[in-house]
Amino acid sequence: MDFDLTEEQQMLRDGARRFFREHYRFEDRRALLASEAGFSRDHWAKYAELGWLALGQPEETGGWPGSFVETAILMEEFGRALALEPYVSTVVLCAHVLGRCAAARAAREVLQALAAGDARLALAHHEPGGRYDAERLNVVATRRGDAFQLRGCKSCVPDAPAANRLIVSARLEGEEDIVLLLVDAGVPGLRMNAYSLVDGTRAADLVFDGVRVPASSVLARGAAAGDILQAALDRATLARVAMALGAMETVLQMTAEYAKTRVQFGQAIGRFQALQHRLAEMFVEVQETRSILCCGLAHVEAAGAERSAMISAAKVVAANAARIVGEQAVQLHGSIAMTTEYAAGHYYEHLLAFERIYGDVDWHLDRFARRAVT
Amino acid sequence: MHFEPSPGDVAFRADVREFIRQHLPPDMARRSYICSQPPDIGDFRRWQRILHDRGWGAPHWPVEYGGTGWTAMQRHIFMEEIFRADAIDYGWQGTHMIGPVLIAFGTEEQRRRFLPPMLRGEEIWCQGFSEPNAGSDLASLRTRAELAGDEWVIHGQKIWTSDAAEADWGFFLVRTDPHAKPQRGISMLLVPMNAPGVRVRPIEALNGGRDLNEVFLDGVRVPRGNLVGEAGQGWTCAKYLLEKERTASAYLYRNRRELEKAREIARAETVEGVRLIDTPEFARRIARVEADLLALEWSVLRILAGEKNLHDADAVVSALKIRGAEMQQRVAALQLDALGPRALRVFAQGDRSAEVIEGTSLWPAYVPGRLGQFLYARAATLYGGTREIQKNIIARRAFGLGSG
Repeated sequence: MDFDLTEEQQMLRDGARRFFREHYRFEDRRALLASEAGFSRDHWAKYAELGWLALGQPEETGGWPGSFVETAILMEEFGRALALEPYVSTVVLCAHVLGRCAAARAAREVLQALAAGDARLALAHHEPGGRYDAERLNVVATRRGDAFQLRGCKSCVPDAPAANRLIVSARLEGEEDIVLLLVDAGVPGLRMNAYSLVDGTRAADLVFDGVRVPASSVLARGAAAGDILQAALDRATLARVAMALGAMETVLQMTAEYAKTRVQFGQAIGRFQALQHRLAEMFVEVQETRSILCCGLAHVEAAGAERSAMISAAKVVAANAARIVGEQAVQLHGSIAMTTEYAAGHYYEHLLAFERIYGDVDWHLDRFARRAVT
Repeated sequence: MHFEPSPGDVAFRADVREFIRQHLPPDMARRSYICSQPPDIGDFRRWQRILHDRGWGAPHWPVEYGGTGWTAMQRHIFMEEIFRADAIDYGWQGTHMIGPVLIAFGTEEQRRRFLPPMLRGEEIWCQGFSEPNAGSDLASLRTRAELAGDEWVIHGQKIWTSDAAEADWGFFLVRTDPHAKPQRGISMLLVPMNAPGVRVRPIEALNGGRDLNEVFLDGVRVPRGNLVGEAGQGWTCAKYLLEKERTASAYLYRNRRELEKAREIARAETVEGVRLIDTPEFARRIARVEADLLALEWSVLRILAGEKNLHDADAVVSALKIRGAEMQQRVAALQLDALGPRALRVFAQGDRSAEVIEGTSLWPAYVPGRLGQFLYARAATLYGGTREIQKNIIARRAFGLGSG
């Protein structure tokens, strides 16, 4: 075991940190939040140039193969900066699905476009009423000659408004099998209702009203599709843990600095032991989050059930930490954390979103319990 | 960054497991299963001898003094196997505390005199630090020693001294310079517990245990050569021994074994015919603790592997202590909750009678000991620096706040 970064990994981290320091100042980010898209297409192009969009993808489609550790390193920096680009959806979630379906020509083409910065993707999987489980899908794919017709509704699809391609999960009509389809975001019959989430990122409800999808767009079906979906969602979960870790470390440091400079009762509030202990508790939470991230990384390539269980454990620990760190960061800052004009509140909102995306604590705890208790 | 265990470690684990399987007396394992903390002194002596004969008496010591030369990961694996098998934990005051201090600060004569019997489990040690008015504020200790010719003469009182009644030797912090700054005026002395003027009074603990003691030192005389390091170096020695085993404060191996016992209880106990472990409420509670224990385990692994990117190391170690100590209490609480009302029955130490009624064991072997261990675990957030002291350390080392 070795927990230190290799030289290449350090370069990746330092490069990312430098980029965000220069391009993600607080006011720059606020402008992005207020913009129509909610992220920067220029940054996205830059990410392509830096090779970040090819990270972890097969070489034959223009990828930059690496372990998930590199992805986690990058995600931690995204978290520090609270970067808004749809990286997890596109590169961690959808590119993994495409990479596993590389036999499909459609997948190879999109992967190439993705690495070049010309494609952004979102995974349309969860449905209204399904919460975090989507085992019984209501979106149905009906065979019509050499094509499928899609009907049904997906809800709260992260980053869908930014995507020009969607990966849609559906149930084959008359069968239990699920199927994963690659769908053009502008296809006739697809309605998108976009909105903002608490962390300023965008999501959408998608209504498929007889959308026609050629059979060549089928990426995977049956048990294989379920496995691929699960693996991709696990990786996305872990990527968000890394992001949350970066966000937590940053807001903790910010809170400690604030406690040293904010004067009340004639002294810096950081001199009060009650507040020192609160900061110490936050420190412990952040430490444990880094440790559980390592545990998750050690299991990200493990067999399905083991991988899922360990990544669920990572989410449970990290989400619990995120709640404590986020809430205490607001409490220790006081009222200044209640305004969007100050960064602490933005970190709090990011961590709030993290808690619930790709499964909340209860959902992951149950999934982990099924493995832990036998 | 990579997380694969080395193939050598896998073979090493198999070796250790096999050795323990062959040499751990079943009666000893049984006692340790019921009450591992603190271990029975007789068992400790026997087991230490067994390990010593295999060359494993103090794996973490330098090889020239009897250590094994194992890597940090091998020592980790060894401790995992010790607890997995309900073998006996090392005697902390001996090989883990005063041993490394003598190796670092002692004279060659002291090392030759004290280390071999310590390795063989022949001499038991106790640690005389706390006093009635010097707990968390240890530097305010008042037990004093003065040089009279070639002897130190000691007057004062220590308290919460584990194993003082059985110990052959004690290492005591005493004030040798009343005029120096509190921490600089402290020295460490080695005291034979049978010396005239040493009186030990056992203190009955909440769990009925009698390993805690008061120690009265009334004009106790020890040779000048029983000073460890130099006069005034006692605080440095004490800090060294507390910091030597940085990951020990996670109590990782004990916590893992105790959580396994909690599971065992939850598999056997039923609620309206349903195994407790199959109820969603209890399954979630176990899973919650297990997830935090995984995080703790990986915190330990990060330190063992020598991660360079660590935040301030002292702060990280204090974080481990906080989590490890709280984990002991959480796991013990899980056990008690799993037992239900039968958790309340007091079993005298050594009393492990299982009453069998109509062929059904009414008091299964997993019941005795759990209440006592739960009560003992209350001290986990007290000894070795209270949880609050650990938070002070984190505030100072990680954020430069406060003085603690």
